[in-house]
Amino acid sequence: MKLFDPTSKPVERAIKLAPRPASPRGLRLGLVENTKFNASPILEKLAERLARRHQMTVTVRNRKRSASHEVDADGIKALRAQADLVISGIGD
Amino acid sequence: MSEIDEATDPAALIEAYYDAGWTDGLPVVPPSDASIAAMLAAAGLEGHEELGAITGRNAVVVAEKAAINAVMAGCRPEYMPVVVAAVKSLCAPAFAYHGPASSTGGSAMALVVNGPIARRLGINSGNNAFGQGHRPNATIGRAVRLIMMNVMNTRPGLLDRATLGNPGKYSFCFAEHEEDHPWEPLHVSRGLRREDSAVTLIASNSLYQVYNHLAAAPEPLLSCFADALGNVGTPNLLGFNETLIVFAGEHAEVLQKAGWRRRDVQRFLIEHTRRSVADYKRGARLPGEVAPADETTWRYRFERPEDILIAFAGGRAGSWSACLPGWGTKWTRSVTTRIDVPSAVSQGGNA
Repeated sequence: MKLFDPTSKPVERAIKLAPRPASPRGLRLGLVENTKFNASPILEKLAERLARRHQMTVTVRNRKRSASHEVDADGIKALRAQADLVISGIGD
Repeated sequence: MSEIDEATDPAALIEAYYDAGWTDGLPVVPPSDASIAAMLAAAGLEGHEELGAITGRNAVVVAEKAAINAVMAGCRPEYMPVVVAAVKSLCAPAFAYHGPASSTGGSAMALVVNGPIARRLGINSGNNAFGQGHRPNATIGRAVRLIMMNVMNTRPGLLDRATLGNPGKYSFCFAEHEEDHPWEPLHVSRGLRREDSAVTLIASNSLYQVYNHLAAAPEPLLSCFADALGNVGTPNLLGFNETLIVFAGEHAEVLQKAGWRRRDVQRFLIEHTRRSVADYKRGARLPGEVAPADETTWRYRFERPEDILIAFAGGRAGSWSACLPGWGTKWTRSVTTRIDVPSAVSQGGNA
């Protein structure tokens, strides 16, 4: 008799990582808000601190359709083009 | 086939599936080459065929893995087309799998089966429709959950973060009682033909029964549903909700005798399922002190008639029906998928 493996591993995808910034100073910041109750206040507070400490500027604010959905293609495009660093928060 | 080991004792084999972490906590039926092949044949599938994918997880469901899990769940081969349709519903973009599958809310994946296949397979739509004792009900829902765990990587404590979960997470499958249905069946209300077979998937946070023994007209009866669905502790106060309501026995008769149709029930519930802002503030579901205007400022639970799904099931006797509140239309939507049965199988009548 045999054991039959019922599991599947995630399909591997090649993902090219963006180059790591040499310094946090002056980076363009993207915020991804997932619509949960406290997501936006947390992200905005973080952005304020990062602006104060490292002179970062929020250049993109993405609001997802819901926490259940991925960032859509247009959102990804904007984040790639306009942000050096992206923060995504869960809130609640 | 994914052969990884050998064993000779059936009990040891069952234990081996436990040891590998592949079960839902109940013993599984150890698959064989023959049982997997029969499962695939009954759905007209080759093992390598892709049934769907969860893009955010890079998870792809291939037929062979679905068949292995269906055997493990105890399905007969002829149940496989229902399992396949349910998997396609899980993978539908509108269902947005990640949220309802992983949330702390711990949704059960409730499956309503309609059409000729429900009768042919003997999926229970009568007494104890949500309960134990019927193999297709028990094993089809179980197969779907095993596929979620084993193929879609939705394991408790990892990508299944349910705070409590609910017993429907083991299995939740029933058929609609179509024989003396007062209206068109659920799948027809969602755009399919009466002669089609279909499965409707809704992520349901909970199941609660609604009792009313005295109501002889729809309005008082449905006010109990409005109250149940509008309780202060339910999520999604902003109104983007979906629910499945299952009318049984005497409640179905009340609606039928009054000549109420699906739209009448939906409109009544949209209008009456509401709470005041004051109620929500008193329950700390909204922040702030109660202002006088809050007493007459209403939050409605439902936006559109089609967000209230209605099915008929259960025994003829008794004053019980049920609400299965969904997980919110912003996050996920119920999905109805037609069940495809290969003509050779459907004509063979092997159910």
